Amino acid sequence: MKKTDIGVVAFIYAVCLLFLVMTLRLPSAAQTYPLFIIILLSALTTLYVAQMALAAKKSGITSGLEDFEGFLPKQFFPILGMVVVYLVIMYFAGFYIATLLFMAACLLFLKVPKWQILLSTAVILVLVYCAFTLFLKVKLPMGLLFK
Amino acid sequence: MLETLALMGQGFINALLPVNILAMAAGTTIGIVIGCLPGLSAAMGVALLLPMTFTMDASTGLIMLGAIYCGAIFGGSISAILIHTPGTPASAATAIEGYQMTLQGRAGKALGTACISSFFGGLLSCISLYFFAPLLAQLAMKFGSPEYFWLSIFGLTIIAGVSSKSMVKGLISGALGLLLSTIGMDPMEGVKRFMFGQSSLYEGINTTCALIGLFSMSQALILAEQKIKQRARATKFSDKMMLTKKEMKQIAPTVGRSWIIGNLIGILPGAGASIACFLGYNTARQFSKEKEKFGHGSIEGVAGSEAANNAVTGGSLIPMLTLGIPGESVTAVLMGGLIIQGLTPGPDLFVGETAKMTYTFFAGFVLIQFFMLGIGLLGCRGFAQISRLSDAILIPAVSVLCVVGSYAIHKNFVDVVIMMIFGVLGYLCRKFDLNTAAIVLALILGPIGEKGLRRSLALSGGDPGILFSTPVCWVLIILCIFGILSPIMMNRMEKNAVKQAGGDIPGETGDDPVRTSD
Repeated sequence: MKKTDIGVVAFIYAVCLLFLVMTLRLPSAAQTYPLFIIILLSALTTLYVAQMALAAKKSGITSGLEDFEGFLPKQFFPILGMVVVYLVIMYFAGFYIATLLFMAACLLFLKVPKWQILLSTAVILVLVYCAFTLFLKVKLPMGLLFK
Repeated sequence: MLETLALMGQGFINALLPVNILAMAAGTTIGIVIGCLPGLSAAMGVALLLPMTFTMDASTGLIMLGAIYCGAIFGGSISAILIHTPGTPASAATAIEGYQMTLQGRAGKALGTACISSFFGGLLSCISLYFFAPLLAQLAMKFGSPEYFWLSIFGLTIIAGVSSKSMVKGLISGALGLLLSTIGMDPMEGVKRFMFGQSSLYEGINTTCALIGLFSMSQALILAEQKIKQRARATKFSDKMMLTKKEMKQIAPTVGRSWIIGNLIGILPGAGASIACFLGYNTARQFSKEKEKFGHGSIEGVAGSEAANNAVTGGSLIPMLTLGIPGESVTAVLMGGLIIQGLTPGPDLFVGETAKMTYTFFAGFVLIQFFMLGIGLLGCRGFAQISRLSDAILIPAVSVLCVVGSYAIHKNFVDVVIMMIFGVLGYLCRKFDLNTAAIVLALILGPIGEKGLRRSLALSGGDPGILFSTPVCWVLIILCIFGILSPIMMNRMEKNAVKQAGGDIPGETGDDPVRTSD
């Protein structure tokens, strides 16, 4: 059994609880199907808890962190953060400015040679412009600042 | 019969329109590029490029997605042969013999064999697509609400089939997907359910956003967590790619056998190209007159694996197109492509005007194989260099395409946020052995099952006996039981095949366990 599975089980139970609270606020005729799914999900999660207990008895408890072998938090979290900031900048400054900044920042952070940064950013921007703006006629976000 | 033949002929005429030819060429090239990049998979590629098909005609859009699918399955063999790193898990067995041939200075021959075998595998798989799909669709036309309920249950039992390590975790993933599929308007009562105050969730979670997040964004996050690897330089080769008559004769029976294996595996829900490639490889070894060459660079080994994994493509489309049941992740994404076009996968695709679109897609699927052969043979050297593209560039590039793709669906920023949420969810699912493909299947099948169940109960005045009232219901119940038991057989079959091949499921592809990321 992995210790990390306890977190997974807790998360699933929390989701069930959240949906249960919301389901009970629905009119009774609309409650049946979601309730059935919530009961099914809870039952399966409980079955998994039983399996975990059996596995713990049989072969002990492992941390589960072996699944994160080679995980680089100093690389992963800044990149995840950059993606989130990218979305925020896009909301305010529009798609093209945000993408330019995101591509450059992300590639610089990942220590990509400068000529490759220039080339990759240009290729992505041209590709998106041709495919989405010219071909699909999608109006990409202009940003609140430029509206 | 005559009507079907007319539709087939009309399909070819439509498929040969310049716009469709362009879609085939572009889709195949993009697919091969995606396939030969070890960090990306076919499902991810199709999901990422799904929004590109919005404004296209339905048949053109589907042809493009089909071309990406076929191209990606073949493309995986290029990096498998040249740098011993399968681009997709479907080419894992190809790496065994292909790389040995490269070490012997026969890389061109290995690539040529892979290309020609993929072509014949894919082409022959179209035969079953043409003949079995309409038959199954005719049967499905007799389905009523109870049958649709059981059909969706059958589809959901496939969840167990696409599960990774634990069947219970696969089922939990499916149930979680079902719960998420209840978000939006109640189909019978017209009540808003779990919408968190977002009117854009009125029609439920956008499946395409969920697909892009679960398959593509999560893959970018997976790439971001590991040290950026420098991939080996692809071997330059100068030998001829074309096979001699003798070599063609040598691989012909292998290709024939692998076609049958790949096709059956493709039709079976829950199985995919990665199982087929090992089974095709093993069968080639069993029947070979030159068994001693296996493990030392046998072209029959390459042919067996590649013909089998490409033969899966046509077969895997049958349950999705006729019953609306995607058997694995790539067809689930393709089904998303159909839904985007406002089409309902199932027997309706074979009736009236929609049938013309379906047969155009079938004809396009045949022609895609020719494009794969031509582009593959002519462009192998160029594609080989692309396989070296660093993950450091792929991470931001894939992220940008995920964002722009999800925004383009409804030009709505909420969709981007939903994609991002599903991206993180997909990443966590993959880290904790939950199954992203199961969540997607449940998101697609949940509403079908709910409608089938509630309509049936409404028709019978609440009597559940209606769900067991017809012979077709019982056939579907038996199939559900088979669906639950099949993963045990599949796992055994897969383990045996990998063991006999002396190979291993590659971890370098950056994909989930084999069946989920063909």
